[in-house]
Formats: sequence, structure tokens, C-alpha cells
Amino acid sequence: MSHDHGLPPKSSVSRWFLTTNHKDIGVLYLITALFFLVFGGTLALLFRLELISSGADLLGSMGYNQAVSTHGLLMVFWFISPFAFGFANYVVPLQIGADDLAFPRLNALSYWLYLFSGILMGVSFFQGTTFAGGWTMYAPLNTPAYIPGEGLGATSVVLALIMFTAAVTLGSVNFLTTMYRMRAEGLRMRDIPIFSLSINLTVWMMLFAFAALLAALMILASDHILGTTYFQYSIDGTTMATDADNPGASLLWAHLFWFFGHPEVYIVFFPALGVMAECFQTFTGRRLVGRKWFIISMVLVALQSFVVWMHHMFLTGINLPIKTIFMATTIGISLPFDLMVFSLIYTMAKGRVRFTTPFLFSLGALILFIIGGITGVFLGAIVLDYQFRGTYWVVAHFHYVMVAGATALFGGLYYWYPKITGKMYNERLGKIQFGVYFLGFNLLYFPMFIAWETPRRVFVYPDGLQIWHTMATVGGFILGASFLIMFYNLFVSLWRGEDVGPNPWEYATSAEWAVSSPPPLENFPGVPSYATGKLEFLDDETVVERTERAPGAAAHGHAATDGGTATDGGAVTARAATTATAMESAHEVSGEEHANHASFWPFLVSLGGFITFLGLSGVRTGSVFYLTMAAAGGVATIGSLVGMTREPFHAPEMAIAERWPFERVEKMKLGMWTFLASDIVLFGAFIGSYAFVRVAYGWTAWHHDLIPAEHVTMPGLINTYLLLTSSFLVVLAMVAAERESKRGTVAALAGTFALGVGFLINKGLEWNHLFHISTETFPSGWNLSTNIASSTFYLTTGLHGAHVTIGLIICAYMTVRAWNGAYQGDDRAIEYFGLYWHFVDIVWLFLFPLFYIL
Amino acid sequence: MDWKGYTAIYVVLFTFATAQAVVEFAGLVDSAYWAAFALIMVLSVVKAVGVAAYYQHLRWEPRAVTYLVLGGTVAALALTGAAAYSIL
Ligand code: HEM
Ligand SMILES: [Cu+2]
Repeated sequence: MSHDHGLPPKSSVSRWFLTTNHKDIGVLYLITALFFLVFGGTLALLFRLELISSGADLLGSMGYNQAVSTHGLLMVFWFISPFAFGFANYVVPLQIGADDLAFPRLNALSYWLYLFSGILMGVSFFQGTTFAGGWTMYAPLNTPAYIPGEGLGATSVVLALIMFTAAVTLGSVNFLTTMYRMRAEGLRMRDIPIFSLSINLTVWMMLFAFAALLAALMILASDHILGTTYFQYSIDGTTMATDADNPGASLLWAHLFWFFGHPEVYIVFFPALGVMAECFQTFTGRRLVGRKWFIISMVLVALQSFVVWMHHMFLTGINLPIKTIFMATTIGISLPFDLMVFSLIYTMAKGRVRFTTPFLFSLGALILFIIGGITGVFLGAIVLDYQFRGTYWVVAHFHYVMVAGATALFGGLYYWYPKITGKMYNERLGKIQFGVYFLGFNLLYFPMFIAWETPRRVFVYPDGLQIWHTMATVGGFILGASFLIMFYNLFVSLWRGEDVGPNPWEYATSAEWAVSSPPPLENFPGVPSYATGKLEFLDDETVVERTERAPGAAAHGHAATDGGTATDGGAVTARAATTATAMESAHEVSGEEHANHASFWPFLVSLGGFITFLGLSGVRTGSVFYLTMAAAGGVATIGSLVGMTREPFHAPEMAIAERWPFERVEKMKLGMWTFLASDIVLFGAFIGSYAFVRVAYGWTAWHHDLIPAEHVTMPGLINTYLLLTSSFLVVLAMVAAERESKRGTVAALAGTFALGVGFLINKGLEWNHLFHISTETFPSGWNLSTNIASSTFYLTTGLHGAHVTIGLIICAYMTVRAWNGAYQGDDRAIEYFGLYWHFVDIVWLFLFPLFYIL
Repeated sequence: MDWKGYTAIYVVLFTFATAQAVVEFAGLVDSAYWAAFALIMVLSVVKAVGVAAYYQHLRWEPRAVTYLVLGGTVAALALTGAAAYSIL
């Protein structure tokens, strides 16, 4: 039997649509991200041309604003992180000894959602104008009332970002589950190679930060499409703080965005740091000096990154005490960075440096980062920021840090190129590119520090600064040209490059260099293990032998699922399952039997999502074209999701693996919990938004001023009872399944479904009533657009209702399966569904008092 | 846990939900708003912990899963608390 996992060869186009293999997907990410680099870069060159002289005589004012905004969004979202995740996809499983990610199809889904979200960005240019309010999308300029024209392009951008965020969330869940369930035996968390470690911390930050962004974007999309009024206010008095109907509007966006935004800058930078550390080690032939402290610093930064966001808001009306606190945390966060920088410098000083292209890029990145970091500390000081805010100082600062990150990643591209392609690039051309790149970079961004008085995002500037801007434009073109050299080099080397063996770099030690270049589809010639202190590949017999000896080693999870009373029966099942899994993967290894890992569904789901979102961008116009598209896309998406669920796809857990600290949490369960953790932040941000605008309005006046007397407690209480009872039935379904009572299982699941439907009907009746009330204060009903209280009420409980609806679809599917005899004696699937359903229940436990009583 | 345990939890949850509504019907929300607020939120937290610990089995999972959940919760609370404080 061949080792193709049911996939066509790489030379066939269909391979790339069907693949779920992490290495293929890594390559897809790399190429797609480079495409967006060129896209965003071209826009930048356009507006750099514009800025040769003051005024918008080339692109026009709207053209300039669109180019600047799209450039920022493309580079931050569609280029830099996906580029890093190309490497992460390719390298992390190899470095930790896994044969793929935990959920290969989900990984493909992430990629396709990413690609289609980028296409949606591109399409937005053709809907009149695209979004033009800057990459930070500040309110209220991000809402339709403040956007010139119909603003459909802007809506598409918001939806594209939502799609992108969905891809990121799935990716985070996938990477975390992989790294906690699939490490080679003997590989402790702290021992995994530094690049993988940096990715681990990156995905942790992503999991929480992007959930907050998702909340911000969903609210914004709702303002665009449904007509809620979170980010707008109308003023009818003299001072905004007291007379506006929604005084928290624009600060709300700033808080949500920057709560995401600051972690995002480390999300961007950490993978780069990982690449730098790898390259420094390999090309100095030394282990990272103070590795332990380097890791501790990264962990500290990852945590602290969530408590510095208000340094982006020093010029807003937030109070002085909070500004001071955030100044302190900001200065605090630069300390661990100093440690990391020193560690890299010492590593270099103590080792014997070999100046290869990847090393040059890593060293260059370090130098640029130091400059960027120091100038950032200036901005972190409140008084200095009063001057610098909104100027080119900020532009220069963040390009020095962000593009320093990109610089390291280009180093990574040279570093892993031989691994991915099996060919060596041309070293001379690589060095030449570095020289041109470094020159172009500094010529482009350094003058911006000097011309710092230029207002940011504006195309007019004082005359005396023209020389610096001209210089920057020239630098921009030199930087751009350096990429032509790189593309040429990497492309031509595919044919002309020298063949390389497993390890072309003398001192590279991580596991990806222990296998051929490129590695085989299943990565390793056996089950990887570090049990003896160095990497070995175990054969079938050893694996089976070891799992026999230690039944706890694998697939232990479900012995403890129902309440953890690991009875003898449980232990026996666990042991049987372990052996079965061991045999299964042993077969995998020896290639006797291969699961089919080709799937077209991820592509179709994403295509459906793309059509849905494009349709949604225009539904507010009532156009039949857009409405049809939204409906057709929705059907296609749901249909494809069902198809994907029904497709047999088997990715067994590893027979032996290191799993601290989630040894007993089977991978589906861990994936579910990780997802729920991000969902907690999503709902938390929704509830937080509600609390924030309510505080801004006046917490206690809110109820009296904005909410009609018809909005009573009873419907909420009834719904609380319904949901609590349905949760109770889900656990009963588990008990029944475990006792192999098919009737009991079906009855309990059907009951859950019925109660959920009752919940939605009750809610529908309540909403319908409120929409159509006619009182003195609310003569024409209380609907989504009536005021900020109605907006928060409908949107927050609506998001919850959407969660209920999704749960019901799953519940219906499971009821039918139970009817056909599924789950008897194995209640795991019901348990995982239950985790989700109970979570939805818990959310309601807070929505009920907040929106019905208090 | 067997069905009896689950049922006991259910009864408690049901009672607490009712208690929250009773606080409102008794007029406490109008007479002593912040006391009612504290009482009602504490009841919600207790219910949530009950569901998570028993129905979602967190009690029997490795502690790390609980930390994962707490991580998300703390992040959301930090955002809410600090943002609201910033405009007080
Ligand atoms: C050494 C630690 C750093 C400090 C103390 C720092 C500080 C700051 C401050 C205070 C601002 C707000 C300036 C203003 O708008 O007035 C800022 C902006 C920014 N920083 Fe940093 N920064 C640091 C590192 C980084 C890193 C590592 C990155 C990315 C890799 C980054 C990316 C950005 C970006 C993109 C902005 C601009 C946001 C916008 O569009 O308004 N910073 N930085
Ligand atoms: Cu920041």
C-alpha cells in the first residue's frame, strides 16, 4: 500500500484542494500570505508615491484613505500572522513529534476560510469603495451613517474580518489541542523547541484576544446590517458626555479593539522571536543562553499583554488614574523583552557565528526591533504620548517593530526553504537581498522619526518635511525591489538548487532536521520518542509492548468521563481502547492500512461562507441579488457542514505521547473546552460592552429612561426554567447511554430538543410583543434601533439565541443517531455536546438577571 | 455521578433561579438596588459554578481544564472591569 492517505500527487491541482496534511497546508499558507504581502505592498507603494509631495493629487482623497486602510488591514491580518502560521503548520508537528495536527480537516478549514476572507477583502474594492477609516476602524467613522456612499464595501471588510477571525479561532483550538495531546514521549512542554514554544504562546494569546475582536466585529456588523446603535450617538445638547444618547459609543470600540490590539502586536511578534531564537542557535552553534529565562519572559509578556491596552487611549477621555496604571504596566512589559534581547546577544557573543542568509535576517530583525522597542517606550509615557500620538513617530515605531518581525520571518523562509523543497537556495543572492532589504527598510522608516511632526494617515504635511518623505518613498521602492530578488532566488532554486539531505545546517538540532527534506507524508519512520533522552523512532512491537505495560499512557480520557469514578470496568475499557489505538497507529506507521485524509468539504464550507457573507454585505439595501446570495450561501454552508460531519475521517490519537497537563482529557474534549474558553471571552466581551455603555449612560437611570415597562421578568424566568431543565435532560441522556438504554437516550435528547425549541418560541413571542408596543415613551415599538438599551438587549440575547439554535441542530442530529442505536455504552459524544449546551445554559444564567431583573 | 446526584443539583438550580425572581417581585430591586444586585449576581455565580462543576464535570477533570476556563473568565472580567472603571 502506498503512503498517500488517499491524496493525489503534489503535481496534481486537485491535491491542493483536497489536502488536509499539515505540510501541504503550511505551504498553502506561505504562498497565500506572500500574495497578500504583494497586494498590501503595492498599495503602500501607491500611497508612498502620493506622499512624495503634500496633497492627494495622485489617488484622490478617498483613494488615498482606502489604500492606507486596506494596506494596514492586509499586512496585519492577511500577511504577517498567516505567514508565521505557514511555518507553524509545517514545522510544529515535526518539532514535537506528531504526524499531523490534532484535527486535520479543521486545519484545512482554517486555511480556506482565511483565503476566502482575503478574497472578500479584494471584492470589497468593487462595491463602490472599500473601508477607508484606518486599520483601527475607530467609531463612529466605522458605521454606515458616517461612511460616504452606500458603504457596502466597508460592510464586506467587517465580514471578511469576521471570517478571518473564525479561521484564527479554529486554528488556535487546533494548535493547542495538538501541542497538549501529541508531543512525543518524553518531550516536556519546557523542552519543546523554542519556535514551537513561541507558537504555543502565540495561540494562547490568539485564543483570547481574537475572541474579543470577534465580539467587536460582530457588534459592528450588527450596526451595519441589523441597525443596532452601539457605535453611534446623536447629540442633542451641548456636551457629549451628558447629552448624547449613547455617550460610551466611541470609547467602547477603542476598548474592545485595543484589548485585542495590544496582544495582537505580540501575536505578530512572537513567532518571529521564535524564528530568531532558532536561527541564532543554529548559526552560532550554541544553545540559547538563559533559555529558561527566555521562556519565562515570553510567558510573562503573553500574560501582561492583556493588561496594557489603554496605552493606545492616552488621548481619550479615560481618567488619569487608569492612564497612570497602564503607563506602569506598559513600562513593565518592556522589561522581559530586554531580557530576551540580551539572551540573543549573549548567544551570539558566546558562539561562533556563521553569517548565512537566515542568520543575517535574524540579526537584522534584532537590531530593528531594538530601535522599535525603545521608541515604543517613549510612547508609553503619557506626557510624551500627548505629543507623539497621531504622528509619524507612531508610524515609524510600529513599522520598526512589526516589520522587524516580518524580517525575522523572511529569515525563517530561507531557513526552512531547504526542508520544505529539498533544494538549497542561492546563498549569494540571499545575502544580496538582505543588503538591499536592510538599506531599503531604514531609508523608508528612519526618516519618519525625523519627520515625526507629519500627521498620521493624512496626505498633507508641512513643506519643510518633503525631503524626508521623498527619501522614504525611494526607500520603499528599494525595499520592494529586494523582494524581486527573493522571489527570483526561491523560484529558480526549485529547479537549479542543490539537493539537500535531512540537515543542511550543521548545528540544527530540532526534530524536523532528523527526517528527509521534504519529510514523508507521515513525517516519521516510527513513533517518535525522547524517553531515553534523545530522539528515537519506535517500531510497532515496542509501541504495543509499552502501551500494554502502561495502560494509562493513551486514550485514557474516557475512563474518567462520567464523573471520574474510574471503576474497574472503566479501567478495563481504557486499557482495551489503549491497545486498540496502539494497534491502529502501529498499522498507520507500518503503512498497512491508511485512513483517507482527503476532503473537499473544508473548501466547500468556506466557499459557502464566502457567498453568504458577500450576500450579507448588501442585504440592508433590500436588493434581491444580495438577498438571494445570502440565502443560497447559507444553504450551501450548512449543507457542506453536514457533509463534512457525515464524511468518515479518522485521525487517531497517538499511541504514546506526552500530555501534561491534560493527560486525562481526550482530544475532542480538550478541543471543545478550548473552544469554550474563547466563547467565554466572546460572551464576556458582549456582556462587558453592555456594562460599559450602561455605565457610560448612568447605570441606574438606564432602566428608567430606556426600557419600556412592558419589558417584564416573566419570559426570562420561564426561559431560565426551560434551559435548566434541558441541561438536566442532557446529563440524563448520558446516564441512559451509559446504561445502554436506547429508549432513555432518545427520550432525553428529544426532550432537550423540545425544551430548546420552547425557549426560542418563548423568546420569539416576547420580542414580537416588544417590537410592537405603543406607549407614550415608545410610540413606535421597542426594536433594535430604538436606543442603546434595546440594541444591547436584542443583540446579546440574540447571540445567545443563535448559540441555542446551533445547539438544537446538533441535538436533532444526535437524536436521530441515538434512534438508530448510536452512543450506547459510549456516552462521549453526548458529553461533548453537553459541554457546549451547559455552557449556553450558564451564559443565560447571567443574561437573565442582567437583562431582565437589574 | 448518578441520576440522583444530577437531580439534586437540578433542584438547587431551579430554586436559585426562582429566588432571583422573588428578589425582584418582593420589590427589593426598587428599594435597595445594590443589595439586590449583589444578591442576584451571587446567586448567578453559584448556579454557574454548580453547572460547570457537576454537569460539565469540571470537578473530576484535571485542574488544568478549570484553569483554562478561569483564564477566559478572568480575561473577560479584566476587560469589563477596567473599561468600566476608566470612565467612572
Ligand atoms: C517594547 C515594547 C513596546 C512598547 C512600550 C510599545 C508602546 C506603544 C504605544 C504606547 C503605542 C501607542 C502610540 C500612540 O498611538 O500614541 C504603540 C503603538 C503601536 N505599537 Fe507599540 N510598543 C511596543 C512594542 C510593539 C511591538 C512588539 C509591536 C508589534 C510587533 C508594536 C506595534 C505597535 C503598533 C502597530 C502600534 C500602532 C497602533 C495604531 O495603529 O494606532 N509595538 N506602541
Ligand atoms: Cu500596544
